[in-house]
Amino acid sequence: MGRCATPAAAGVFICAAALLAGCAAPQVSALVERPPAGVPAAAEIASVPFFAQEDYQCGPASLAAVLRHAGREATPESLVPQVYLPGRKGSLQAEMLAGARRHGLVAYELAPRLEALLREIAAGTPVLVLQNLGLDWVPRWHYAVAVGYDLEERSLLLRSGVTRRLAMSLDTFERTWARSGHWAMLALPPERLPETAAELSYLAAVAGLERVAPAAARRGYEAALARWPQSVTAELGLGNASYAMRDLAGAATAYRRATARHPESADAWNNLAQALIELGSRDEALAAARRAVALGGPRLPTYRETLEHILRQP
Amino acid sequence: MLSHFRRMVAGIVIVCLGGTGLVLPAHAGIVSSEALVAGTQQERLAGLLERSDVRAQLQAHGVSPAQAQERVAALSDEEAARLAARLDELPAGGDLLGAAVLVFLVLLFTDVMGYTKIFPFTRSVR
Repeated sequence: MGRCATPAAAGVFICAAALLAGCAAPQVSALVERPPAGVPAAAEIASVPFFAQEDYQCGPASLAAVLRHAGREATPESLVPQVYLPGRKGSLQAEMLAGARRHGLVAYELAPRLEALLREIAAGTPVLVLQNLGLDWVPRWHYAVAVGYDLEERSLLLRSGVTRRLAMSLDTFERTWARSGHWAMLALPPERLPETAAELSYLAAVAGLERVAPAAARRGYEAALARWPQSVTAELGLGNASYAMRDLAGAATAYRRATARHPESADAWNNLAQALIELGSRDEALAAARRAVALGGPRLPTYRETLEHILRQP
Repeated sequence: MLSHFRRMVAGIVIVCLGGTGLVLPAHAGIVSSEALVAGTQQERLAGLLERSDVRAQLQAHGVSPAQAQERVAALSDEEAARLAARLDELPAGGDLLGAAVLVFLVLLFTDVMGYTKIFPFTRSVR
């Protein structure tokens, strides 16, 4: 986070003057002047629940709203022990993501663009945003849930603080959002891809889910494969999620399919080798491990370890 | 720094666990999904140190030991590394205001101009 480190009054006015240099927020102007195809002029998801925030607890309140909208049981009170940090009187972004994962949802970090945010709302997905309502040097970090917008009125609708339907000027929103690095997240069931999902970002989000809910992650990888059939990472993720659930046969099937479709992927051969040796198929495992080592790459030390481990087996 | 001490203790614990033959969470020969999407090497041993570091920091900030354990378990390796390095500086959304009269006036002004939105009673001129 950049900080304007001028403590004295002079600095304050310099900062204020610097702020006044630009008037309309950049992304808003572009959007209003040339609305992109597929972005309706206005949208609102009225069904997103609202939880008025208690002191400092906009994190749990906002997260509860998106979790409930995604069909999960959650209240601000149930989320306080999961995401609220008493010593900081607030909630950290990473823990907001982790909190959604703990409810079996894919926690997807949105691209830092206003257009992406509007597209998600138009598609019926509420967007949890982090704003800095203050300034860089007097931050006032605040989570809210964006549930609607109106391009003609240049306004955004938020479930925010103690206000159920806060209409904020899009320009003001963009400035307060920019100060958080345009940070926003979605919490979606793994069967439902975000409207603006990018392959690698989505797979990273599912990989995060794999750690706490491998069964849910497996469905996420399946959805990713349906959208990006060429993704070797999604294929391997499917195998890894099965492996994490100790479904070795399922894992081997997924890895085998990955090696068939992407024979150049050393990772695929390596993971296949590991699953096979645990299933007791030593000869086939050995062949796969040799393939991985022959292909090489940045993870060659791992492939060598796998091979040596297999060679040590009777 | 306490964190150095914690790292040392965590290191010793990990070595001891290894010695007793307990399986560490990283799967033996599998290239993990997080490593695949990050394009990095295999899970690093440091990841475990970072996690124990974050757990200790959460507890120092008032989270109970059991909750801290669960919270750390839901972080990705990359998130754990980020929190371990700068948990005290990262934004914590919650409506914090290091307020002073001067700051109040400036923010009132910027609120009216539509650059910030602190006070419910202001109305942006835009």
